[in-house]
Amino acid sequence: MAAEYAGKEKTFLEQMHSELNIYGIPRHWDLGEFMGYPIQLNAETIVFTWVAMAVCLLLGWVAVRGADMRRPTKMQACFEMLFDFLRGLINQSMDPKKGAGLFSIVVTFFLFISVMNVLGVVPTYVKPTADIQTTFGFALITLCLIYIWGIKYKGAKYFKHYVSPNPIFLPITIIEDIAKPVTMAFRLFGNMKGKEIMILSLLALITGTGWLAGGFLAGTIWLLFCIFISLIQAFVFTMLTIAFVGGAVSEDH
Amino acid sequence: MVSLDFNATVFMQMFHFLLMLVLLRLVVYRPLMNIIEKRQEYVASEIAQAENQRAQAAELRAQMEADLQKARDEAKAIIDRATKASEEQAQEIMEQARADAQRLKEEALADIQREREKAVAQLRNEVASLAVLVASKVVKKGLTIDEQHNLVQEAIKEVGQLH
Repeated sequence: MAAEYAGKEKTFLEQMHSELNIYGIPRHWDLGEFMGYPIQLNAETIVFTWVAMAVCLLLGWVAVRGADMRRPTKMQACFEMLFDFLRGLINQSMDPKKGAGLFSIVVTFFLFISVMNVLGVVPTYVKPTADIQTTFGFALITLCLIYIWGIKYKGAKYFKHYVSPNPIFLPITIIEDIAKPVTMAFRLFGNMKGKEIMILSLLALITGTGWLAGGFLAGTIWLLFCIFISLIQAFVFTMLTIAFVGGAVSEDH
Repeated sequence: MVSLDFNATVFMQMFHFLLMLVLLRLVVYRPLMNIIEKRQEYVASEIAQAENQRAQAAELRAQMEADLQKARDEAKAIIDRATKASEEQAQEIMEQARADAQRLKEEALADIQREREKAVAQLRNEVASLAVLVASKVVKKGLTIDEQHNLVQEAIKEVGQLH
């Protein structure tokens, strides 16, 4: 199969990808120029981000609708468990007072990334998180959070950790700061992209005689595994955000 | 296919995230957190109330037990008093009965004595007259009045020694 496409312009993965794009979404949206730079948006990513946003809001609406103090509805109970779980994580890694403001951001991270990841399991849908733009955007938000929380609770003293115990460490700490969002972004991106490539590869196998052994069965099992990976990766991203912000505000730095 | 070029999508996704944060906060987190807070308050107040009620119940129970003990003591006192009174009454009745019996016995004895005396007197008279009759028959021929009289007296004496 791969050999069939190898000599052509498109790889077989790109072929599969464009064949599955039944909605006719273009590759890019060009929105003119801004100060000499072209404004280009990855159309699929944006569209499926909107879908994910709609799903998130729908889930939230279902949870809030008919929410009751005495008898929680099923979705409400799920959300409450998620809240408790993430609040526990925050309180473990930092002072609860400092973590209070972080709570809704962390919950949004987890919910939004989970929904985006799981969206890829739906046939013909594309995961927004399988695009480096999305994961980098989120990782930049985490980087901002680290600085905001560090400066908010430590003031100018926050920058002291770059040169302590010795200014020699300055390059290392700067690299560390750059590495934090980059690793987060690439971890999520790599996992999701790999997942997508696997799905497409397995789909590509569903032709000819070997479809049952090669494509369909493996594809089904892989899709189940995808859901698991999706949630794990969303959790890892959330957990790392909490850990980094917790490290920024902790006193014993 | 895996392109690593950055474009404006990064900022768009950041904007999407912030939008999502604001929307979810308004639509989902705040109402749910309110409900959770309300539930916590409710549980706390229920626990406080339950503790309060338990304390009250303990107090009430102690009071009840004290009352019960008092009632028991009173009942015991009443029973004791009643028992004592009844015993006294029984004693009194017994004594009365004994006295009555004694009196009846004495009366009976007196009656018997009186009857006996009456009988003895009657017998004495009859014996006297019978003796006189017999003696007069036996000694019709030769006894004087004085001798008769003496005989009678002797006879009476003997009869008097009879009882």
